[in-house]
Amino acid sequence: MNRVLAVYEKELVSYFRSPIAYFVVAVFLLGTGYFFIYEVFMTGTASMNEPFKNMGVLLLIVSPIITMRLFPAEYNGRTMELLSTLPLQPWQIVLGKFLGAVTILVLMTIGTAINLIPLYMYGSPETTNILSGYIGFLLLGMACLAIGQFFSALTENQVIAALITFPVLLGFWFVGHLYSFQSAVILQNLFGYLSFSLPFGDFIAGLIRSEAVVFYLVVSAMALTLNASYLQWRR
Amino acid sequence: MTMASAIELQSVSKRYGPKTIIHDMSFTVEPGEIVGFLGPNGAGKTTTMRMIAGFTTPSSGTIKVAGHDMARENEQAAEKLGYLPETPPLYDTLDVEQYLRFVAKVKGVPARLMAQDLDRVITACHLEAVVKREIYKLSKGYRQRTGLAQALLGNPDVLLLDEPTAGLDPGQIQETREVIRAFGEEHAVLISTHILPEVTLICKRVAIINDGRLLAIDSPDGLQAASEESSRVTLQVSAPADAVRAELLGIDGVQSVAVKEMPRQSGVLDVTCHVEARTGIESKIARVAAGKWDLHRLERQQPTLENIFLRYVGKQEREAA
Repeated sequence: MNRVLAVYEKELVSYFRSPIAYFVVAVFLLGTGYFFIYEVFMTGTASMNEPFKNMGVLLLIVSPIITMRLFPAEYNGRTMELLSTLPLQPWQIVLGKFLGAVTILVLMTIGTAINLIPLYMYGSPETTNILSGYIGFLLLGMACLAIGQFFSALTENQVIAALITFPVLLGFWFVGHLYSFQSAVILQNLFGYLSFSLPFGDFIAGLIRSEAVVFYLVVSAMALTLNASYLQWRR
Repeated sequence: MTMASAIELQSVSKRYGPKTIIHDMSFTVEPGEIVGFLGPNGAGKTTTMRMIAGFTTPSSGTIKVAGHDMARENEQAAEKLGYLPETPPLYDTLDVEQYLRFVAKVKGVPARLMAQDLDRVITACHLEAVVKREIYKLSKGYRQRTGLAQALLGNPDVLLLDEPTAGLDPGQIQETREVIRAFGEEHAVLISTHILPEVTLICKRVAIINDGRLLAIDSPDGLQAASEESSRVTLQVSAPADAVRAELLGIDGVQSVAVKEMPRQSGVLDVTCHVEARTGIESKIARVAAGKWDLHRLERQQPTLENIFLRYVGKQEREAA
């Protein structure tokens, strides 16, 4: 685990020594701040439901930006040769990088908590709904980051990594919207299972369903496993 | 129980599609020896180094590092290995100390020995002045030395250095050679280069490769002795040219004799004899020349490593053609 932590620390320093982390966190907080003001102050509803939905959509945009440099930077800087020849297993590299990206996600999430101050000052929001919404947001974010990290390993070009990740995440998000249009049960189930937005909706509504938790964790684990397998195959 | 070789390659080949890059290569490097890996650009040096380091896997054959099979015990082998690739693998966003600390942690250097190990490599590679400097601000020489420092971390049993002195100025080259020489007294070092003097100065043995094939591996003296390249004995004598030619050609081992008059020195001849590679022939020539004529100077010139290298590479290319 020490080796995973070494990779994690290196990733964090790399994030904060480049403008990416500041840019991503700033854009995300500006976006969520705007949606919060729009949804809460304009409608006068003391609830995080609508801001959470918008945070989910914003996540689809910022996740590829967080993950796009993870492996292309190693390939282009020739440092993949170092990582591959140090006593590091592919899963240790993958996990260290993933934890670094998740840390940025957590910082972004903590940043949005500033919105809760006026919410509690001027209204009586449902605390359990807010907590479950944040749990859902973090789980959704982990799945998005794991997918983005996997695609970043497939290319040496950061922009291509982001351009592949974004439509894939968008697909996972909107497949839930196709769910209600399907007459065939099998397609309804398929689209329901693949959807990133439907389980997130449950979290926002205050429901922490074990299937939803497991779904995001399984998607993350699958993407990270594919990521590690790909690195092993590259050798 | 016999001690395992530090590096052992057995029938290693590497193919990319239909093209074979490395052909059936076998050799060993023992602990306490520095072996120079010599070959022209594109000979397969970097590919072989990368396979030994575990960055790429061979298509066939086995590679062992400190007794560990790279295919099955990759992690144990990697723990015994320090590797400096052709392009130093550096993180531009980190400073030198952060970078070295990261590598040391991954190599499993215990926390209580971390500061000591960092100091050791920083001092050995003369990085004291840039320890806190971001890597993207470093000059090429410092980048190369930072790369070497990471390879030395953890005091590995085996050191692989791909062109370690590339980009260094003469003073830095000298310092780097001293670091490698000192390290090689107790550890195994495989150093890839196409700078021939580097090999003769620090290497115990030399492996010559070209076109993915190992052509020869021996000590520089052994290569000279085994070389088909004839040695030259030059002498200056005061004697009749015909007599010199006839007497010298009569000595066993002398293949040819060229005689010419020294400019501005009447009666003094400049004689060049091509002789067989074995030793002792120059003594016979000296005895004959000193006994019969007035001998002013005698010198034997062995074939240089450069000549031997070019001969091996040229011979292989002629055979391939």
